[in-house]
Amino acid sequence: MKKSVVLILALAMILVVSGMVLAEKVEITVATGAVGIEYDLSVEAAQRYMELHPDVVVNVLDTPDLAQDRLGLYLQFFEAKSSEVDVYQIDVIWPGDLAEHFVDLYEYGAERVISQHFPAIVENNTVDGRLVAIPWFTDAGLLYYRSDLLDKYGLEVPQTWDDLTRTAKMIQAGERAAGNPDFWGYVWQGNSYEGLTCNALEWVVSNGGGTIISPDKKVTINNSNAVEIIEMTANWVGSISPDGVIGFGEEDARGMWEAGNSAFMRNWPYAYSLGNSEDSAIAGKFDVAPLPAGNSGRGAATLGGWQLAVSKYSEHPEVAADVALYLASYEEQKIRAIKGSMNPTIQALYSDAEVLQASPFFGSLYDVFINAAARPSTVTSPRYNEVSTKFFTAVHSVLTGQNDAQTALEELELDLEDLTGFEIGRP
Amino acid sequence: MFKKRKTVGMTELGKREQRLAYWLLLPTFLILFTIAFYPLVQVFYTSLTDKTFASNQETNFVGLQNYHHLLGMTIKELPPVIDEDTGEQLLNPDTQKKVYERAIRILPREPVRFRELFQFGFLGRRYVVGAVDREFIRAMGDTISFTIFSVLLETLLGLGIALVVNSHFKGRGVMRATMLVPWAVITVVSARIWEFMLSPTRVGFFNVVLQKLGLGDGQIAFLRLPEWSMPSLVAVDVWKTTPFMALLILAGLQLIPKSLYEAAEVDGASSIRQFFTITLPLLRPSLAVALVFRTLDALRVFDVFQVLLAQSRYSLASYNYYQLIGNRAMGLASAIGVVIFVLIFAFAMLYMKLLGVDTE
Repeated sequence: MKKSVVLILALAMILVVSGMVLAEKVEITVATGAVGIEYDLSVEAAQRYMELHPDVVVNVLDTPDLAQDRLGLYLQFFEAKSSEVDVYQIDVIWPGDLAEHFVDLYEYGAERVISQHFPAIVENNTVDGRLVAIPWFTDAGLLYYRSDLLDKYGLEVPQTWDDLTRTAKMIQAGERAAGNPDFWGYVWQGNSYEGLTCNALEWVVSNGGGTIISPDKKVTINNSNAVEIIEMTANWVGSISPDGVIGFGEEDARGMWEAGNSAFMRNWPYAYSLGNSEDSAIAGKFDVAPLPAGNSGRGAATLGGWQLAVSKYSEHPEVAADVALYLASYEEQKIRAIKGSMNPTIQALYSDAEVLQASPFFGSLYDVFINAAARPSTVTSPRYNEVSTKFFTAVHSVLTGQNDAQTALEELELDLEDLTGFEIGRP
Repeated sequence: MFKKRKTVGMTELGKREQRLAYWLLLPTFLILFTIAFYPLVQVFYTSLTDKTFASNQETNFVGLQNYHHLLGMTIKELPPVIDEDTGEQLLNPDTQKKVYERAIRILPREPVRFRELFQFGFLGRRYVVGAVDREFIRAMGDTISFTIFSVLLETLLGLGIALVVNSHFKGRGVMRATMLVPWAVITVVSARIWEFMLSPTRVGFFNVVLQKLGLGDGQIAFLRLPEWSMPSLVAVDVWKTTPFMALLILAGLQLIPKSLYEAAEVDGASSIRQFFTITLPLLRPSLAVALVFRTLDALRVFDVFQVLLAQSRYSLASYNYYQLIGNRAMGLASAIGVVIFVLIFAFAMLYMKLLGVDTE
């Protein structure tokens, strides 16, 4: 009898104590990407945070690779106002659309660190004066070129699109004559998806054609500069770019590039370290440069990248915000830059010796990253996805030859006017 | 007749049994109500609003506006462009074709804008068909043509395969098992496999084979060129679903008594005659069931379209998905759901009438 009372008491004690311990431990879930080594990097970072804060448990939730699928998953959490996920990794085009579900990080001490980050990304993540996400890593479109082939034919790295077309044509003719019938001049992303919006925005901006919809809410896409450059790129299909480029995504282009079958490629920075890996036929034979310029006289790179945002439905927003700010801090971004060659969003890291040793082009292309052109996602929120879909569908119809650029952009202008209610203006 | 006898001369015991039966059926009705009827009504109600998915924005009741947006169409005549010097219709200097006013200038813009769907000539005049939601009308057309072609091919091929594996030959069991492999593969997985084979460069199987045969230059973008994408999709679906069709038809074939064929044999009927007078009529009920299954399945096709065509061309279901997740227009997406429901319902009724499926 006495024994059992003691036993029950002991059990009760254990329950109470463990309950207290559990109650003290705050659980935070971070939804992150799992492309390549992304997930492992996040788990390691979470481990480091937990060592510094023993009263917090940080779980890492891996999410689908495709941005559109990931958005679908997030939307389901938001629709249910779920507190399951506290910190979300969001695409650079989402802050506007999803702002209502995130807390203002300025209320959680982001002022201290925000000046370290690229101003363009901070502006992109600021909706109605609220900082809805802290920049984590960034991306920008780059021109990859085969330095060995340029040397072989005695050519320069192209500065303009006309240069690129000419150079690509020459190398393509030469390599085909040398016995590689699968060789093409230039590969890029021409499939009907967000990647085409990124590519086409670069063409149009570099040719002085504006950013589809200007920051002051004008539909600017229907102009002669935009028509001219889109007509030119449509002519690439089947001449310097394979006919199949209208079905290419990033990985299709990279596959062809790494097999040594193209002279130039437009892609994101991630292809740099992969192109130098062991199973790449062109390891050490290529370099990167800013994308060529059009009428505007300077090239343009579309801004990509990912941010961390804290859910409004989180049970512990203070702790969640602290986790987000920690993950986006100088030390953590440095580790990601070295191990995963992901572009930091903190300016000082671009002059950090260890980072530069791992990815030398971070230093030489600093200007590209800091001047990257943002897609009009914040100004058109919450309709950006529809705006982008209409844009890449219109461009794709020109690439496949169903439409001429003038007609496609004229229709697009009316569609965007209907959709956003903005006026038509000049870029 | 059976029903009548039950109600007229019902004993106390019969009534008790009937009451018990209702009680036993009640859970089923409750479950049906909660998982089928309630969501259906909910979707219908949402389709009358402008609800945004995953947003705190205020939802308004908009009546039938979503349906008007989806189904609104118009036909306008395109006036000829007259050459001011000659008073005759202008000809295109390159193609020597008559020039008409551009559709974008003729189609109405207020209160809603109509987009050009297609043009056609009739009795020497030129007309343009416009739709408010061009993508939806195209998705509807694509879904229906996909359904017709894929189900037709699957039925013919399935019938052929079923007849073969129904006959006696060595290794029939192995044949029947291997026949089912495509059906056993998850659609998304098989769609990905086909995506590799249809790849737009010489990495792709079909480009290599066609080029070896002297067709094309090894650079055909099967999934992005409008003239290729629908045949490619039908091919994927036929490859995948023919085994299912064959299986259902095989089951029907095995129900036909062997004695009928023996009698026909004795009467000296040829095997072609046997097929048309015995096999086909007796197969009709099984064939009808198989057709209904496949048609309804094909009308709500999602996975192959989503994986292979994504946002370059939609089926009704993948357009629905795009409007909900991509565009977050939950009201509009619900309206699309209702339209799909009505369409499938109409097809089901049509089949029952046409094929005389026994409802008793």
